[in-house]
Amino acid sequence: MYNLIAKIGEGALNLCHETGGLLHLLFMVIKSLFPPRFDPGEFLRNLYKMGVKSVPIIILTAFFTGGIMVIQASVFVKRFGATSLVGWGAGYAVFREVGPILLGLMFSGRVGSNNTAELGTMVVTEQIDGLKALGIDPMQYLIVPRVLSMIIMLFLLTIIGDVIAIVGAALFGILIADVSFAAFWTSFSQNVHVADVVHGLIKAGVFGFIVSLTSCYAGMTVRGGAVGVGRAVNNAVVTAALGIVISDYFLTYSLS
Amino acid sequence: MTGKLYEMTANLGGFVTGIFAAALSLFSIAMRTFRGVFRFRGRAQGEVLKQMYLIGNRSLIFVTVTLGALGMVLVFQVCLQINKITGDQSQVGPEFIKGMIHAFVPILTAMMLATRVGAGIAAETGSMVVTEQIDALRMTGVDPVDFILVPRFIASVVMTFVLGVYAMVIVIVAGAFMAHSSFGVNYNVFFVFDKVTGGDLFIGSLKLIVHGGAIPIVAGYCGLTTGRGSEGVGNATTRAVINSSLAVIIIDFIISGVGLLTVQKI
Amino acid sequence: MSIIFKDVHRYFGSKKVLTGVNMSVQPGEKLFVIGTSGVGKSVTIKHIIGLLKPTSGEVSVDGVRVDKVSEKELFTIRRKVAMVFQASALFDSLSLLENVMLPIRKHLKLKDAEVRKKAMALLDEVGMLKHAGLYPSEIGDGMRKRVAIARALSLDPAYVLFDEPTTGLDPVSARRVDSLISQLATERNAGCIIVSHDLVSIFSTATKIAMVYKGIIYKEGPIEDFHSSTDPVIRQFLSGSSSGPMETPGF
Ligand SMILES: Nc1ncnc2c1ncn2[C@@H]1O[C@H](COP(=O)(O)OP(=O)(O)OP(=O)(O)O)[C@@H](O)[C@H]1O
Ligand SMILES: [Mg+2]
Repeated sequence: MYNLIAKIGEGALNLCHETGGLLHLLFMVIKSLFPPRFDPGEFLRNLYKMGVKSVPIIILTAFFTGGIMVIQASVFVKRFGATSLVGWGAGYAVFREVGPILLGLMFSGRVGSNNTAELGTMVVTEQIDGLKALGIDPMQYLIVPRVLSMIIMLFLLTIIGDVIAIVGAALFGILIADVSFAAFWTSFSQNVHVADVVHGLIKAGVFGFIVSLTSCYAGMTVRGGAVGVGRAVNNAVVTAALGIVISDYFLTYSLS
Repeated sequence: MTGKLYEMTANLGGFVTGIFAAALSLFSIAMRTFRGVFRFRGRAQGEVLKQMYLIGNRSLIFVTVTLGALGMVLVFQVCLQINKITGDQSQVGPEFIKGMIHAFVPILTAMMLATRVGAGIAAETGSMVVTEQIDALRMTGVDPVDFILVPRFIASVVMTFVLGVYAMVIVIVAGAFMAHSSFGVNYNVFFVFDKVTGGDLFIGSLKLIVHGGAIPIVAGYCGLTTGRGSEGVGNATTRAVINSSLAVIIIDFIISGVGLLTVQKI
Repeated sequence: MSIIFKDVHRYFGSKKVLTGVNMSVQPGEKLFVIGTSGVGKSVTIKHIIGLLKPTSGEVSVDGVRVDKVSEKELFTIRRKVAMVFQASALFDSLSLLENVMLPIRKHLKLKDAEVRKKAMALLDEVGMLKHAGLYPSEIGDGMRKRVAIARALSLDPAYVLFDEPTTGLDPVSARRVDSLISQLATERNAGCIIVSHDLVSIFSTATKIAMVYKGIIYKEGPIEDFHSSTDPVIRQFLSGSSSGPMETPGF
């Protein structure tokens, strides 16, 4: 019994510590943005690296997500004989929920965890101390460019992903679910609104922010050599997933 | 010009052979794991139980929070849309429950476990590689796949299924709560299970089992092929997250497609 | 003008690593910090550029209290005091040339061509110019160390800190590093603090030695004092004998 209480207490303390650390990092990032003081070269390099590196994975994910959604929609729709609803159902689900969440998770897995591994390696090989020793602020040189690039890139990649997912849905609708392209398109274009897309893109921006903050924090607080880096990557993706899902809940509420 | 062309061809060739080599090595690890399972006969029962405990312990709260929130969000979106059209919420519960069982819960649970369990396995095996524990294991004549992957494979298949079933309960309860509190849907209208067919149960279970098997194999492959040097383990963990998530999405797509054309055909 | 430690204590949790360090370095001096593994040599010198803050005590560089100033003001100290890290700490994502160019570009208002020229001159000085386009992962430890030295010298520092510059190097490369350090002290009048286990290096290069033992500077003085010392702890360290009064953490 005593042990259990001690464990809960320890967990709570840990949670406070981590939350405090994240908030501190957030504060430092904001401080470096007003007025903007960050390395433009690093910013561009990260935009390129994070964007280009993720395009294949985002396309694959989006394509199959579209496929999965159209299959699920047709399981439902066929029993009612309402194939005219497939395009709408798939589009609505992809734009508002499934797209941003799955793409966010994949982005966290690809870019976020890569970022944690990179920063963590820099910590354990004293490269961060090396930067400080050269009088360069790691906040401005490393963190802020990464945070900004991740937010921008997830937002842009979600736009690409949305398009690809709809293409995937239309294609597999024709191939597997007996939905003609015309029927799919009519249903899609008449019922899915710009508001649905905007709803999803706002989420993508927030998810990008969450992934960037959690992955930078996990990377900068690595301890214990190469083994510690692996552990940090694991923590980073888990925290990001929790953050994405929980913020999705609140966003869905407040955007509707 | 020719130099550049040559370089591009060489790069492409290297890329393709790289993919084939990776596929071959992944396949070999999968086969060795399956063989290990059949030869298993309870040798490392303690290890399997320990891994099951670890997976459960690490993932229970994670799955509860994530899937609970997703359940509420999904019901919210559906009800919102229905309100705009017919306003008849009586079908929400039964259809939601059906959709969760054969579609959403398996893929979402598996995606969550790919980040939680997959990354964990890769970090752990990757660390064993860089600290030369794997080499030490080979020196004693033990196949690292047998020793490390087989118990995790068995544990993951069992626990993904168990956590998946648990997640269904969480999602459905959370969904019902949302439907009731925000849209006034009665609980007895929501909790109707007669839309669920045997085909749905079969597809849902099959997905959970296959995902549960794919995650440790992909993650273990990433961990065992960890590079030397300080960035090795981090990279292996990164690859494990992305590759096992992608594996889950593609497997889910295939099973869904086949399911639609067979057991769920109307 | 000097770096001064006054009664510096540093604890990590309950672990008391430094318990009253006193020492000082003037420009042109070559102070070697010696002591057994894990005794706190790296911890000591990281205090000078504010990478670690003392639990109590004072550290000052040319009259500025490093332990008191803000992170922002530290950056001015760090331009004056360069450091060569134990494992070089080159940035993996940048080529060797870019590694040396980075601090120059950040701190000196120079045109890009001039930044490049200065960086190449520095690489030339350490004999690494022909490898300028390679990345840190493509070269060996000794070469990395030389690039790290070039990078450390890029802002014409008044003081340079070296954390085990010759450990892991072959004897020839090690002697090259020694003569680079001597050059720095004589030609640029830089104050050098060198953490080292390398007895050859110490006796050929040092103008002063400080021995860290049991959390304090056990003895500080010119080489002759150590040569002529009859203290059993010092005698044991310099002879590298396994038996004696010395306690080594971890054994
Ligand atoms: N950030 C830290 N947190 C906790 N303990 C630390 C930290 N940095 C150093 N220590 C501890 O302080 C002690 C001294 O470490 P330090 O790296 O200074 O040793 P050293 O004298 O440089 O040894 P070596 O010759 O092996 O480099 C060690 O026991 C180490 O565990
Ligand atoms: Mg040291």
